[in-house]
Amino acid sequence: MTEEKTTGLSRRRFFKWVGGASLLAIGGQAFFFLRSCIPNVLYEPVKRIKVGLPNVFPQGHKFLSAFRIFVFKEEKGMHTVSCVCTHLGCNVQISEFSQPRKVKHGDEEVEETFEFVCPCHGSKFRADGTNYCGPAPTPLPHYKMEIAQDDGQVVVDKGEEVDKNARLKVEA
Amino acid sequence: MKSGIAKRLLWSWRPESQREANDAIVKNMLLHWFPSTVTKRSLSFSYSFWLGTISAVLFVILSITGLILMFHYTPSMERAYPSMKDIDFATSYGWFLRGVHRVAAQLMVVSVFLHMMRVFYTGAYKKSPGKMGNRPRNWVVGIILLLLTLALSYTGYLLPMDQLAYWAMIIGANVAASVPFVGEHIKLALIGGTIIDQNALLRFYVLHCALLPIFMLVLMAYHMWRIRKDGGLACMDQVSLQHGMTDAVPASTKTYSLLGITSGIDIKVQAPSQMEEEDRILSSPNLVRRLWLVSLGTMAITILLAIYIQFPLEAPADPTMAPNPAKAPWYFLWLQELIADTTFTLAGMTVNGAFLGGIVIPSILLVWLVAVPYLDRTSAANCGIWFPRERLKQNIVFTVVILVIVALICVGAFCRGPSWVFYWPWEQWPELPVNF
Ligand code: HEM
Ligand code: FES
Repeated sequence: MTEEKTTGLSRRRFFKWVGGASLLAIGGQAFFFLRSCIPNVLYEPVKRIKVGLPNVFPQGHKFLSAFRIFVFKEEKGMHTVSCVCTHLGCNVQISEFSQPRKVKHGDEEVEETFEFVCPCHGSKFRADGTNYCGPAPTPLPHYKMEIAQDDGQVVVDKGEEVDKNARLKVEA
Repeated sequence: MKSGIAKRLLWSWRPESQREANDAIVKNMLLHWFPSTVTKRSLSFSYSFWLGTISAVLFVILSITGLILMFHYTPSMERAYPSMKDIDFATSYGWFLRGVHRVAAQLMVVSVFLHMMRVFYTGAYKKSPGKMGNRPRNWVVGIILLLLTLALSYTGYLLPMDQLAYWAMIIGANVAASVPFVGEHIKLALIGGTIIDQNALLRFYVLHCALLPIFMLVLMAYHMWRIRKDGGLACMDQVSLQHGMTDAVPASTKTYSLLGITSGIDIKVQAPSQMEEEDRILSSPNLVRRLWLVSLGTMAITILLAIYIQFPLEAPADPTMAPNPAKAPWYFLWLQELIADTTFTLAGMTVNGAFLGGIVIPSILLVWLVAVPYLDRTSAANCGIWFPRERLKQNIVFTVVILVIVALICVGAFCRGPSWVFYWPWEQWPELPVNF
C-alpha cells in the first residue's frame, strides 16, 4: 500500500474538527430545546377587563376573584387594588379591624378600618396597599380604571399600574 | 451439599471450589452486579444502616407504583383532581397504590437524608489512602441524587391539583421569578406562561414521570458503579489499614482479556484481595440474603404505613383563595420559613425573601455541601468509622446545620398559625374571619 501524503488535513485535525462540530451541534440543539420551552404565544385571559357598571359596586369594596382584584368605591371615587401578594403571589385577604385604627402615612395620620393580610407568609399591607409587615418587598399595585365609551362599564387595566391616590370619578 | 428446589431447578452445576464459586457470581446476569466477595464489615448494619440500599429499594417501589398510577391519572386541569379522587375512592385498590407511592416518597426523602448524614458522620466521602477511587466525586453525585429526590417529591405533590398543589406551584414559580435578570424567563420556561394553567401542569407531569426519574436512574447507576471503583465502602479502608497497607491499591488479581480474542490488552479487575481471606465472604449468599431482608423490610414498613396513614387530598385548587395557613409539605417547611423570614431592606433597597431564602441561602448551603470533602483535611485514618475524635469539629458544624434545618421545620410545622403568625403549639389559633 502506498502511503498517501497528507496535504491539507491531518487525521488529528480532522477529528478535532469533527469533535468541535459535534459539540456545536449538540450545544446548539440544547439551546433550541430550552428556548422552545419559553412560550412565544400565550393563551391567557386578557389584562384589560370590563367589570360592570359603576352602580353595581357597593360602597366599600368588592372582591373580584376571577380577576384577582379588589374594587373599592368611596366618596372620592373608585380604585382597584391587586390581591396578588408581592412576596410570592398568594391572594391577600381583607381583615377588618373591630375598631378603626389611626395609621401614619408619612406625616399624615389616617383612620383605617381594615388591612390586607397574606395567608402564606403573613405579609400585611395598609388599606392603600403599602406593605408594612412581613416579607412582602413592595406595595400592592393599583390598576388603571376607566369608563368604557360604548356601554359605560368600568374597565380595569391590569397591565397598567397607577399611583395609589388615583381615583376614577363616578356618580354615586 | 443439600440443595433446595430452586437451586435444583435453576442450576445445572455446583461450584467445586472457592474460585469456582467466585466465578459463578461474576457469570450470573443478576449476581454480576455485585463483587464476587465482600468484607463482612461492609455488610454490617451498624456501619451503613443500609440506608443507600433502602433509598434504592424505595425508588424501585416508587417507580412501579408510579407507573401503575399513570394509567389512572390524567394530567389536565379539568381531570387531574377528579382522577385523583377516583384513584382514592373508585378504583379497586387505588387508595393502596396511591398510599404506597405517597409513603415511599416521604420515606425516600428521609432515607436519602439520613444516608447523607451517615456518610458524613463516618467520613465516608474521603478519598481512600491509595491512588484508586474518588469518593469525593461520589459525594457530589450523592448531593445531586438528594436534589433529584426533592425535585421528584415537589413535582409529585403538584400533580393532584388540589389547594396544596396550586399554591405550591404559585410559590415555586415566583421563587424562580425572583432570580435577578433571568427570573421571569425561568418562570416562563417552568410553567409555560404567566399563570398556573394547563401548560404548568403538563410540564410538571413530564418532569415527574419521565425526565427526573430517568436522570435519577442513570445517576444512581453511576453512584453504585463508583462505589465499586472507589474500592468498596469506606470502612474497607480500615481493613486495609489494619493490614498495614498504606497504599490500598492492590495488585490486580484477575486479568480478563477482551472477549478472549485480543492479546495484550487486558482489563485489570482490581479487587483488594491482598486482604486476608478470612475478611472476605462470598457475596452470594451473604450479600444477596441481606439485600432481600432489607428490601422486604422496606416494603413491609412502606405497606404498613400506607395502610395506616391516610393522605386526604385538600380541597380542589381554588385560585381565588389560598388556604390559611398555607403550609408546604414538612420537608420543605424549612425553606418556607426561610422565604418568610428573610426579606430585608438595606440602604433603601428591598431584597425579596423569595430570592434570599429561596435561592441564595439554599445555594450557599449547596456549595458548602459540595465543597465538604475538599475542605476536610483530617487524615485518612478517619475514613469509614463513626464519629472519629479527630473530626469532632466537622461533625459539630454539620450537626448544627442539620439542627437548624430541623428546628425551622418544627417551627413551620407546629408554631405557625393563620397568616404565618407564631403561636406556641398549645396556644389556640384565633377564629378566622373569612372576609373579602
Ligand atoms: C437516591 C439517592 C441515593 C441512593 C439510592 C444511594 C445509594 C447508595 C448505596 C446503595 C450505597 C452503599 C452503602 C449504603 O447502602 O449505605 C451508597 C454509598 C454512598 N453514598 Fe449514596 N445514595 C443516594 C444518595 C446519596 C447522597 C445524598 C449522598 C451524599 C451527599 C451519597 C453519598 C454516598 C457516598 C459517599 C457513599 C460511599 C459510602 C461509603 O463508602 O461508606 N449518596 N449510596
Ligand atoms: S406570598 Fe404573601 S407573604 Fe408570601
